[in-house]
Amino acid sequence: MRAPDLVAFAVGASRGSPLRTALLMLAMAIGVAAVVTLTALGDGARRFVVREFSSIGSNLVIVLPGRTETGGINPGSFISSTPRDLTIDDARAVLRAPSVLRVAPLTVGTSELSVGGRLREGIVVGSTAEFIEVRQFKMAQGQFLPREDWSRGSPVMVIGAKLRTDLFPNQAALGQFVRVGDRRFRVIGVLATTGSGLGMNTDELAVVPVSIAQAMFNTNTLFRILVEARNRDAIAAAKRQAADIVKARHDGEEDVTVITQDALLATFDRLIGTLTLGVAGIAAISLAVAGILVMNVMLVSVAQRRSEIGLLKALGASSATIRSAFLVEAALLSAAGAMLGYALGLAGAAVIRALYPTFPAYPPDWAVLAGLGTALVTGILFGVLPARSAARLDPVIALARR
Amino acid sequence: MIPADAVRFAWRSIASQRLRSFLTLAGIAVGIAAVILLTSIGEGIHRFVLAEFSQFGTNVIGISPGRTGTRGGTPPGLPTSVRPLTLDDARALERVPGVIGVVPTAWGNAEAQARGRLRRTIVYGVSAEALEVFNMRIAVGQFLPGEGADEARSFVVLGPKLKHEIFGAENALGERLRIGGQSFRVIGVLVPKGQFLGIDLDDTAFVPTARVMELFNRDGLTEINLAYAGGVSAKAVAAAAEGLLKSRHGRADFTVTTQEEMLSTLSNILDILTMAVAALGSISLLVGTVGIVTIMTIAVTERTHEIGLMIALGSRRQTILWLFLGEAVVLAVLGSLLGVAIGFGSAQLIRVVVPALPVVTPILYVVLAVASSAVIGLAAGVLPARGAARLDPVEALRSE
Repeated sequence: MRAPDLVAFAVGASRGSPLRTALLMLAMAIGVAAVVTLTALGDGARRFVVREFSSIGSNLVIVLPGRTETGGINPGSFISSTPRDLTIDDARAVLRAPSVLRVAPLTVGTSELSVGGRLREGIVVGSTAEFIEVRQFKMAQGQFLPREDWSRGSPVMVIGAKLRTDLFPNQAALGQFVRVGDRRFRVIGVLATTGSGLGMNTDELAVVPVSIAQAMFNTNTLFRILVEARNRDAIAAAKRQAADIVKARHDGEEDVTVITQDALLATFDRLIGTLTLGVAGIAAISLAVAGILVMNVMLVSVAQRRSEIGLLKALGASSATIRSAFLVEAALLSAAGAMLGYALGLAGAAVIRALYPTFPAYPPDWAVLAGLGTALVTGILFGVLPARSAARLDPVIALARR
Repeated sequence: MIPADAVRFAWRSIASQRLRSFLTLAGIAVGIAAVILLTSIGEGIHRFVLAEFSQFGTNVIGISPGRTGTRGGTPPGLPTSVRPLTLDDARALERVPGVIGVVPTAWGNAEAQARGRLRRTIVYGVSAEALEVFNMRIAVGQFLPGEGADEARSFVVLGPKLKHEIFGAENALGERLRIGGQSFRVIGVLVPKGQFLGIDLDDTAFVPTARVMELFNRDGLTEINLAYAGGVSAKAVAAAAEGLLKSRHGRADFTVTTQEEMLSTLSNILDILTMAVAALGSISLLVGTVGIVTIMTIAVTERTHEIGLMIALGSRRQTILWLFLGEAVVLAVLGSLLGVAIGFGSAQLIRVVVPALPVVTPILYVVLAVASSAVIGLAAGVLPARGAARLDPVEALRSE
């Protein structure tokens, strides 16, 4: 039999029992759709995190105080205080490194902000004029912190969009005074809305000069130093130079952790990638179940079409022909089911995107290929047994049955 | 038809098509096995995490400075202009009824140095009560002595990892250890506790709280931990502690978290996770259901003649409907039992092969799986069974 004839034969056979064919395709489709939708969800999460990470700036190297021997990043390295402070002078020294473009020292603390009678607890960030360039914020109103001596800040404040509406519901914010603890700050700017930025909602921040923040929180140590490398290729060099400079300034004791944005991103990327793979694997179990169903139905159809097979053989069809006819039918059914499932999966991903517009849920290519491929291979694999039993039929017995 | 006959009828029609019935069973079984195995792993992790958390003692209430609002709050350890928690606050809390131990806690990251060896480690400032409150055990020597915070001597108790890194296999007791700029005398070594959420609990040094605050130049505690007597309500103790601190500070500028609350929140999250995993596994179950529908449809078409005969002989349509429904249910339930066996078996296998991964098969999900498979059988059987019951006996008998 020629290939087109084989296909036509298979299509004819599946048309013979439309309900059965439809159910078989549905089973395959459910499996493929699950794989496609779930990986779209996983990959969407990955893209979401990547976007969040790039929104905190580009080519970033982050210096944080404290270090543990086991290496890597663990929760302990985010909450450490050390006997030797990471100071503003350290940050200034890092700026001298050849691969470093900008440096923004960072002190973070919580405090109560009050305007008139309104009181609100908020996160106060102490930084410098460079902070806005490193973090790539945009101003909605007014201006950011002025360029001035890092260790002598003026009592001015830049507030996030949410904080602005909370503190000044229906009046101009610029030029007003906000009281924080026992100090008074003049509001000189309002940040444009950026939404969330990895745990720290930037719309609720109040930014003040770093030296004042340190005085307010009674600390000499910085929470972080944000270092921007000159370009992508300089990141590794900037990391090394920053670590060396701080080490030299701390009597040769390496008491800081230096991480790059890329390394952090890669960790998350790997984590979410593994998770997606696991979820896709679990969903793929359903493809195996669909494969069992294909086998079952094909076996039934071989039993029902005994006389037809006997006739074909009696007319001179070889065992190989019969085998390939049934295999082609199994493959066609699986392929059609898989395509249907792919369409359903894309629709599912589209629904997710419509429900959560910020979530870029697109199925990754590898998952689509793997899903379709697995469906096809399972279909054919489970088709082998029925096809062989059909090919082995003795024409005389098969025809003599009735 | 009497029920016993109905059962025999369903059984015989299943048994007559062994391979076909087995494959249908297998479809359901794979789905159920996936659900059982995945929820077993989920439940195991659930218990593991809860056990990890309760190793610090379950009757513990934590108090941290700063009011963390409903907005999620800030990570702990951030400096704050809010009034700090002091050693005096901790001392006052000892008077709260029901409290049996108060541990003022502060920590930081510092370099420990002895015998020419250096190691960065986490230094915890605690009081003598920490031994019981945090469920720690001493391997060698003794724990920090119970002395007033202000005159606490510079003693240090080492985590086993830190002890090993600096002193190796040799005796560490009585040795001097420099942490930051200060000198401490080693008076004890702890029993290993292992890792907790990625933090090595053995790479630690415990010194008196006042010494840590001095070392890191802090005027406030990171946290105060209260242990209360068993049988006392956590809520009552928490409320009493809150009231006392409020009267000392003038307002609630601190956050009280009971271990109970934290554990129940955590437990809820993990339950949701297990449920999500079960839902993932159920996709296969759905496909298995489609399998039953398909096979039952085929069975009805094949047995048209037989059905026609039964109707002609006076069987009621109701009986025909229930016969086919029964067959679908039996298929589904048998499949689920097989699935439970496979799922449970592979869970036990995992337990043997990978002892680090705790696996516990939750009875609830086993019951749910079998029950849902019966429902699945019913649902999957309805369409084909109705088709069978509606057959016109004349047409059916002629169909051959």
